[in-house]
Amino acid sequence: MKPIKIAMLSLTHGHTRKYYQTLKENPKLEWLAVFAESEQVRDVFLKANYDIPCYLDEQEMYEKHLDIEAVVMASANNKHLQQFRECAKRGIHVLSMKIPSFDMDEYAEIEELVEKAGIVCQVELEMHYNPVVTRLNQIVSEGDLGKIRSVNATNITLSPVWAFPWQGIPEESYGKRVPLCTGDKRFRGGSLSDHPHVFDLIRWLTNSEFDYVYAEAGANIRPDIEVEDTLLINGKMKNGTNFLFDPSWSRLEERLEIPGPGWEIYPKRMEVNVNISGEKGALLADCFGPNVYHNGIPNDRYTVQYTYFDEWIGMMDEFVDCIRNKKTPKINLKWHRATIEAMNACYESIALGKIVYL
Amino acid sequence: MNTIIHSQGMEEALSGLLRKYSISEPQDFRLTQPYSSTGLSLLPGYSLIGASITENQIPLLTWRLKRKFIELKKIVQDSVIENVRMFRFSSMGSKDEWEWPWLLYREMDLCEFIGNGKIVSLNAVISDNKAGNAILRLDNNIICSIEISTQMPSGTDLVDRHEIIAQRGVASDLVVDTMIPQDSIYTYTDKGEQRYRDVDEELFGFKEFQIDHIRSAFQVLKQGELVQEWQAQHKRLVNFIKSAFESEKERKKITFN
Repeated sequence: MKPIKIAMLSLTHGHTRKYYQTLKENPKLEWLAVFAESEQVRDVFLKANYDIPCYLDEQEMYEKHLDIEAVVMASANNKHLQQFRECAKRGIHVLSMKIPSFDMDEYAEIEELVEKAGIVCQVELEMHYNPVVTRLNQIVSEGDLGKIRSVNATNITLSPVWAFPWQGIPEESYGKRVPLCTGDKRFRGGSLSDHPHVFDLIRWLTNSEFDYVYAEAGANIRPDIEVEDTLLINGKMKNGTNFLFDPSWSRLEERLEIPGPGWEIYPKRMEVNVNISGEKGALLADCFGPNVYHNGIPNDRYTVQYTYFDEWIGMMDEFVDCIRNKKTPKINLKWHRATIEAMNACYESIALGKIVYL
Repeated sequence: MNTIIHSQGMEEALSGLLRKYSISEPQDFRLTQPYSSTGLSLLPGYSLIGASITENQIPLLTWRLKRKFIELKKIVQDSVIENVRMFRFSSMGSKDEWEWPWLLYREMDLCEFIGNGKIVSLNAVISDNKAGNAILRLDNNIICSIEISTQMPSGTDLVDRHEIIAQRGVASDLVVDTMIPQDSIYTYTDKGEQRYRDVDEELFGFKEFQIDHIRSAFQVLKQGELVQEWQAQHKRLVNFIKSAFESEKERKKITFN
């Protein structure tokens, strides 16, 4: 199979560096170029020593590499629409970050652009390629737990806003400045906007869609940011499964501009845990554990050093397969729409202080 | 025994990885006994302890491709913990899956691999070839304790611990305040409690020791210079095993040049 000639856009998304190794090592990919959104971002990329041409102008990159077939759109959420327009015009396939857009009109435009251009758009929900999640799905589908009654899922992390500032700017993460609720000085676009996985996972596990959601934002752990950082969500799926989600930034971090050792204050910087109660039993899963642990440099704090993170391998394999064999990705725009709608419904619930039906 | 199961599936999985990453695939190879008479035999090194190695037999140091050990090695190598002084390793397996020298072989190699040093002395105490321990010293002055037992009941997964104590910091593959390895998934159903630990999506469905076996075979085929390095290391480890029994018998510390 001819390798896909691929580039990366912007390099401002928190997952950017997780792609580097896969783009370099996967023989089905030929990494041609990157576009860095600023000199600072470029300098960080160059320090990684990947020997890939790096441009500060997106157009210049496209003009110098007319053979680019696909991009990883590693940019802030408010940049996606414009970048999709450019890719559709050029017939370039897109690996999109988790939130193509929270604005459903923009989302519809992106769907239309992709459809008309006949390009592949796969949304980065890497948990689908996590071996623990694969096992979890297998156990549920084999019926060992019986019909699922209840799911409690966390997607808890530290806050990325100091390293990836757009995630703390409402216009760039949510797409516009919308107050969380009347009288609240904070705006949409914080931890909820960062954590779609649990919304996606429950649809997949239950084979059902959201019936209603109730969400409540807590006071911020970080009073100096203008987006939400703690919230809780519960509700029901249409098949009666009830759920409780915690998609908070409830693990404190050192305010580093470049993520690295010592970023976390709480030992585990990121967790996705799932508890399921079924009619025939219960399941507890830690999608990123067990690991190894130390209390070394730079802060002598107890720290989880992850042993997982090969999700990007499977995800990029699927992306290549879809492009070369004209397939539709599992996480395509049409599937993902209901996840974004549920997240928007949570923001609405916070604003209204009551249940929101979908 | 660990080396005699699921051969075909493992070999197919290895072939799949080799094709995926465009690594040349040997015409004839085996991952399990009986050995291939004409092709490559890629077996865990401990299963070749009593055998004389031919050039077509590659003793695999399978644990070196296990992610938790790769990360522990990185923690030491990158000086995340500084000035390592002591290792506390333990490995307890069931007698129908493990032989005592096999586990000692694995743990002694891990001492050298993670500690980036060479064993210069050992003193071992062993009971009935089933339980025992050894104290080692590496040439970089790290001292190591290794506790080995094959007295776990049939069907028990290997229970191991690798703790590294440094002047600045401690690292371990066990969570603080626990004694046994954790798993990723626990289910509680009519079947009782069941545990799952899945670590590799590309090789999903294989047991962890099979994944280590396939990954290490892949690595030697990808990185040819490892063949000689691992064959040489195998000879050293076999010699250390003999010395451990000699130490027990003679009740003395054995030193190596």
